[in-house]
Amino acid sequence: MSTKSPSPLAGEGRGGGSGSPLVLQIFRGETNSGAEQRFEVPVVEGMVVLDAVHYVQANFANDLACRWNCKAAKCGSCSAEINGRPRLMCKTRVDEFGDREIHVGPMRAFPLIKDLVTDVSWNYEVNKQIPGFTPAANEPVPYRMLPEDTERVYEYRKCIECFLCQDVCHVLRNHDDKSAYYGPRYMVRIAALEMHPLDTRKRTSLLHGKAGIGMCNITKCCQEVCPEHIKITDNAIIPLKERTATDVYDPVTRIARKLLPSRAGQPSESPDGLAGATAPQRFAVKDVVRLKSRGRRFARVASVLPDGKLEVWVLHMNGQVQHWAGPKIVRTSDVTNNYGPLDEVGIGGKLVEQYITEDHAAEQHG
Amino acid sequence: MLVIGAGGAGMRAAIEASAAGAHVDVVCKSLLGKAHTVMAEGGIAAALGNVDPEDNWQVHFQDTMRGGQFINNWRMAELHARESPDRVYELETYGAIFDRTPDGRILQRAFGAHTYRRLCHVGDRTGLEMIRSLQDRIVQLGIEVHMEVTLTRLLKEGDRVVGAFGYNRIDGRFVAFRSKAVIIATGGWGRTYKVTSNSWEGTGDGVAMGFDAGAEVLDPEMVQFHPTGMVWPPGVRGILVTEAVRGEGGYLTNSEGKRFMLEYDPKKKELSSRDIVARSIYKEVEAGRGTEHGGANLDVRHLGADKIKKKLPSMYEQFLKLADVDITTDPMEVAPTIHYAMGGLRVEAETGATTLPGLYAAGEAAAGLHGANRLGGNSLSDLLVFGRRAGAAAGAYVREVGLGKIDERQVTGEQQILLLPLSADGRENPYLLQQQLQQAMQDGAGLAREEKSLKTCLDRILELRQRSARVHVPGSRKYNPGWHTARDLRFMLTIAEAIVRAAIERRESRGAHWRLDYLEKDPSLGRVNFIAYNEGGHVKLKTRPVPEMPSELAKLFAETGPSSPASPPPAASPPIAQQVRT
Repeated sequence: MSTKSPSPLAGEGRGGGSGSPLVLQIFRGETNSGAEQRFEVPVVEGMVVLDAVHYVQANFANDLACRWNCKAAKCGSCSAEINGRPRLMCKTRVDEFGDREIHVGPMRAFPLIKDLVTDVSWNYEVNKQIPGFTPAANEPVPYRMLPEDTERVYEYRKCIECFLCQDVCHVLRNHDDKSAYYGPRYMVRIAALEMHPLDTRKRTSLLHGKAGIGMCNITKCCQEVCPEHIKITDNAIIPLKERTATDVYDPVTRIARKLLPSRAGQPSESPDGLAGATAPQRFAVKDVVRLKSRGRRFARVASVLPDGKLEVWVLHMNGQVQHWAGPKIVRTSDVTNNYGPLDEVGIGGKLVEQYITEDHAAEQHG
Repeated sequence: MLVIGAGGAGMRAAIEASAAGAHVDVVCKSLLGKAHTVMAEGGIAAALGNVDPEDNWQVHFQDTMRGGQFINNWRMAELHARESPDRVYELETYGAIFDRTPDGRILQRAFGAHTYRRLCHVGDRTGLEMIRSLQDRIVQLGIEVHMEVTLTRLLKEGDRVVGAFGYNRIDGRFVAFRSKAVIIATGGWGRTYKVTSNSWEGTGDGVAMGFDAGAEVLDPEMVQFHPTGMVWPPGVRGILVTEAVRGEGGYLTNSEGKRFMLEYDPKKKELSSRDIVARSIYKEVEAGRGTEHGGANLDVRHLGADKIKKKLPSMYEQFLKLADVDITTDPMEVAPTIHYAMGGLRVEAETGATTLPGLYAAGEAAAGLHGANRLGGNSLSDLLVFGRRAGAAAGAYVREVGLGKIDERQVTGEQQILLLPLSADGRENPYLLQQQLQQAMQDGAGLAREEKSLKTCLDRILELRQRSARVHVPGSRKYNPGWHTARDLRFMLTIAEAIVRAAIERRESRGAHWRLDYLEKDPSLGRVNFIAYNEGGHVKLKTRPVPEMPSELAKLFAETGPSSPASPPPAASPPIAQQVRT
């Protein structure tokens, strides 16, 4: 090979041995046909597969098609199948393969455009079908969200949309049935929305229907390939499956949940309970809080009980008219937020009429 | 109307214009959500005062002007400081969730040259959070995004910009947009250098397109070197190591283990402005106190593994995976890397309007806010504040005007330029020319510059420009990166020439522009900005007085004492309007 000699340190202490060139088999082709083409690339210390592909592009095949952007595993553009495994090219070191040839091919769950580039537009179309973040219309800005309520959402929001999980998903890949299931990426997106402390929308009927969460049989392949180490199956899909099952198949619980906003009888939802147990909530009389239960209503604190529970009055809107219903006893873990004193928050400031009603319905169970 | 670029500024502009009732098309070179904004790590600067209640917009304004060495546009700095808090809050209404204080407000961290803890952040992936939130909003509003389309020429009717022309990357077909207004939000030009934190997209094409069409390019010589890029192994050279590492308490040492920033800036230490920290590392290396691969050590071990993994998760992962370094037990090796273009299209502060009717610019592609040096975190807030302003102004403009007429000759002319590399019998390889340009810029117009190196660099650029006409690319128009690079190369050459010509004329050291042959500031040059403009296809240069700050704002600086090394030039003295010959 008439290429520049590699740096003296190249391959030192690695599988590459005495600076022997790396053999790269890159898939080349368009739409329906194609084959691997062999290239030899000088190894440089710390080289990743994307470096090698760039070397080929600059020196041997100017028209070699590949996507990439940041080269730091932050954008999720350079997804490919490397020795059969879906990975980011920018994060895959060549030295981990030792002397073996490296085969680089396009993601196979998506239609091929050219070489390493596939048509991933289907993903963007799916994304459009998911109802976005929907806060309450009267949610005061700036938002108040307690750290313990936002913590779990961060994991989902780490997603860089590399679509490797979509590529490896059996439903999308083997059965090629993209009409039945949105795929792991969009389960993560829906989870992020569903668990957002201020989102008010329900997406369980979508999950049960068009999004096809039932198609996932929990093989966990998606979370194995995730470069961001998101526990897609464990922390997004399974909780969503539980939520969907409860809402769709268990009408008794569903009604009970409506009637029992304080969630008595639902010990299975331990994450909230645990978070609540350690929550550094500071409540005072007249603080405005938001309840975690369905509807995520505002409430105001009437008193803080000796056992730490709160006696609250719950805000119900009827057009312009606000009703404060209660009193009702809630645990601090049933509250997502504390906005501060009522006068400062301003709720009630624009009251047209105000009713304080004694409301006993099922409240005392809590 | 048309928005070119789908990073923070482009998307924020599109959202605003769409809300104003305009029909908006967004065009981007990559897939949606991959723009360079995604790489931003540290945070968004906004004086919320959540952590340090003393903070307010006036202090943020002063920090920005000081950082920019007073050649910034004061009005932009004022608008930016005043409006960025609302833009941050607004982002949360799109679904973003920043890290929080114990009482549920947005947490803020310290950053270089910001007086108070001011950066709203999400671990070290703030840019991702921002781009995803804007992307979700775009989708929610049903704004049409044309992915993987490159535009290469603005179409004009007389002086007015009436559309843009380019190609679809996937199949190579040509596309033309006829629009009442065009917003350039294409980011910077870090790719003109070899060691850069920028992705392939940072070729300066939007600014070069504007320049070709006759818009003015302000402060091109001001290129920011981020002090901390990765150094080793070679494949990762230049990849960003976020300033948040220092914001969270990391410090820099030389090969003797000495914490050298204590000497260069005893007050702000590692959190001095980027130009100063970058130069300090450079000086340490020059003095023979550099690390094995020519950098400095950045140490966070004292923070403890738990904090490192929580606050700097992607840095931990990045070093472990790409450099075999566990930053909880070993220091990181870092050196300056090209990061940001302070220069860009000259715009009106309030509206983002360029000097051409119908053409707007926002974000890194626009200039003025950052002056001679940008503060960390001011970029993301810049995108939001001025993206929104450009979107609103363009949205109002399109209500007033009709569609323009497309001049077929402009379209066919650009088609010929585009097709040349596929048909010509030249032999030049676009990638190798690009590499040579990057090397030339790195050698001649890098962190430390002087007349001689700059002139050599200019000669090399002009020679490469000649050779770029003989570029040949094999293959078809279908997803052919070689073909794409051939056109990018022309843009990069234009930008490189503007950078170097202005760098030669700025015979002083100011902010990011460090001249070894003129080590001091020249007060007369502190009152002017350099402007590159197109005259018959050549890069010409002129100066323009720095806009004069009104007295009530100038007073803010006077209060900190006249002896302050970074106070604005006396407002009374008449600005110099010298004409520079090139």
